[in-house]
Amino acid sequence: MKARSSNWQRGVFIGTFIVPTFVFFCIFTIYPVVRALYYSLFDWSGMSENKTFIGLGNFRDMFRDPIVWRAIGNDYFLVAGKIAGIMLVATFFAVALTRFRFRLAGFFRSIFFIPNVISVVVIGVLWNFIYNPQIGFLNAFLSLFAKEKVTIAWLGFASHTIWMLLPPAVWAGIGFYMILMIAAIQNVPESFYEAAELEGAGQWHQFSRITVPLIWEQMKVSIVNIMMTTLNGSFVIVWIMTEGGPDNSTQVMGSYLYQMAFRQYHFGFAAALGVLILLLSLATTVALQRLLRREVVELG
Amino acid sequence: MRNAIRNPVLRAVFYAILVLWGVSVLYPLLWTLLDALKDNRQFFFHLPWALPDAPLLWSNFSYVWNKYNFDTYFFNSLIVTGGSTLLGLLLSASTAYVLARYKFKGSGALYLLYIASMMVPFILALIPLFFLMNSFHLINTEIGLIFVYASSVLAFGIFVLVGFFRSLPKELEEASIIDGASYYGTFFRVMLPLSQPGLVTVGIVNVLNIWNEYIVGTILLNDPKHYTLPVEIGVMQAEMQYRTEWGPLFAALLFTIIPVLIVYIAFQRKIASGITAGAIK
Repeated sequence: MKARSSNWQRGVFIGTFIVPTFVFFCIFTIYPVVRALYYSLFDWSGMSENKTFIGLGNFRDMFRDPIVWRAIGNDYFLVAGKIAGIMLVATFFAVALTRFRFRLAGFFRSIFFIPNVISVVVIGVLWNFIYNPQIGFLNAFLSLFAKEKVTIAWLGFASHTIWMLLPPAVWAGIGFYMILMIAAIQNVPESFYEAAELEGAGQWHQFSRITVPLIWEQMKVSIVNIMMTTLNGSFVIVWIMTEGGPDNSTQVMGSYLYQMAFRQYHFGFAAALGVLILLLSLATTVALQRLLRREVVELG
Repeated sequence: MRNAIRNPVLRAVFYAILVLWGVSVLYPLLWTLLDALKDNRQFFFHLPWALPDAPLLWSNFSYVWNKYNFDTYFFNSLIVTGGSTLLGLLLSASTAYVLARYKFKGSGALYLLYIASMMVPFILALIPLFFLMNSFHLINTEIGLIFVYASSVLAFGIFVLVGFFRSLPKELEEASIIDGASYYGTFFRVMLPLSQPGLVTVGIVNVLNIWNEYIVGTILLNDPKHYTLPVEIGVMQAEMQYRTEWGPLFAALLFTIIPVLIVYIAFQRKIASGITAGAIK
């Protein structure tokens, strides 16, 4: 009798703590995701009366659209550039601020994280000002070395403008991954380094023989994380700085999705683009895991 | 203590890199402040790094606050950020506690579902979310935005807090149950106070992310009365193409940056531990 009532109480308790969260999660997260998969099979302009089922038609159109291919290329360009730039610099800072016994290391660590607490919108506006052809920083700086006033439209090239979006993206990302790397390095037992130092190993040897193998797991997580956040979120900075222009040359999948949905009202096509982003980020995660796992075996 | 880098040239180069990066991070903040005190003439005829002329145009700040209605946007941002952080914490802490301490049918699967949802790009949900909120009549409402933001931080909160609750000793709860406290009493009077460090960590990381969020706000708000700060910054910068008011734009940036900077300075360690806990998967 007593056992039954306490079981009942336990059940009620678990229910009241689990169910509201789950219902909420289903409405605002699960339902929209499932619904997006469904929308991707329709030709739909947002009005309920003209929604026609076209199967995989959106996906077929997508692969015939040269802008989609360019967007995929730009996305992976940003992924590669951000992984290379962020990992190199963040790892260097993490090592310098933990192992090199520099003065003010704590201060540097604190301020290096600042770009990560600032909104992407603000970062976009600031970098737009750096690149501004008339009153921008970059042109004013270059004008110091030129006879005439430099007026390059940095965000207006017909091609390669995507390169201009890499510096803000890397600049804004370093602090976060530096903090992760610092935490990983601090988990390495100090005795490892002491032993290495007794044997006369220099900083480079300590880095390549101790630090890298022991923080490799964290580096792997960081690389995958950079890839995912880039495919899923890099469109915000693109949207603020170029809106995908000029002439769609800086379009990434996310910004094209946004434009197709909320500017051109091709909601079905845009939903299909969302599915493409999901599939590519899952496939790239698997590919990166494979690629990076092999290397850790080589090191071991 | 002996220097870790023995070569003095290398040491100087490394140190110079750190200092340069420090400047690249701090200088934009200073320059935002200086440019917020200029008028258009100074933007067009002086160098970008020139100091603002006297008298300093502190009036740009009041101009943005009153004429651009930043008082409204600031208040909206506060309400939305505060509301969704609290709602998100309540929903994730309750579920995280049960998942950490009680086994029931499907508990493992439920945990996996929350974790797996972190892999799904949020932008995929954007279009259905717009139509969903539209049919709920929650477009242009603070509460609509609060629901969406609270839901978007659930997985992260549950992930970090399950780890946190598991790290707490079980003896205290057992003692509390033996003393005759109910499940609820044990949670609210024993576990919740103990988990305060974890809750603060998750809360602060969420405050920063939600305060800065732009794209969902842009889609769910189209009436300027309900804009949050990032949404208005986006609109303002788009308007700069035909109405140039650079000084006020920089003043507006500062209204957005300063609150997060204060939160960052006050809770630096919490933030570092929050992102570290959230990223170890």
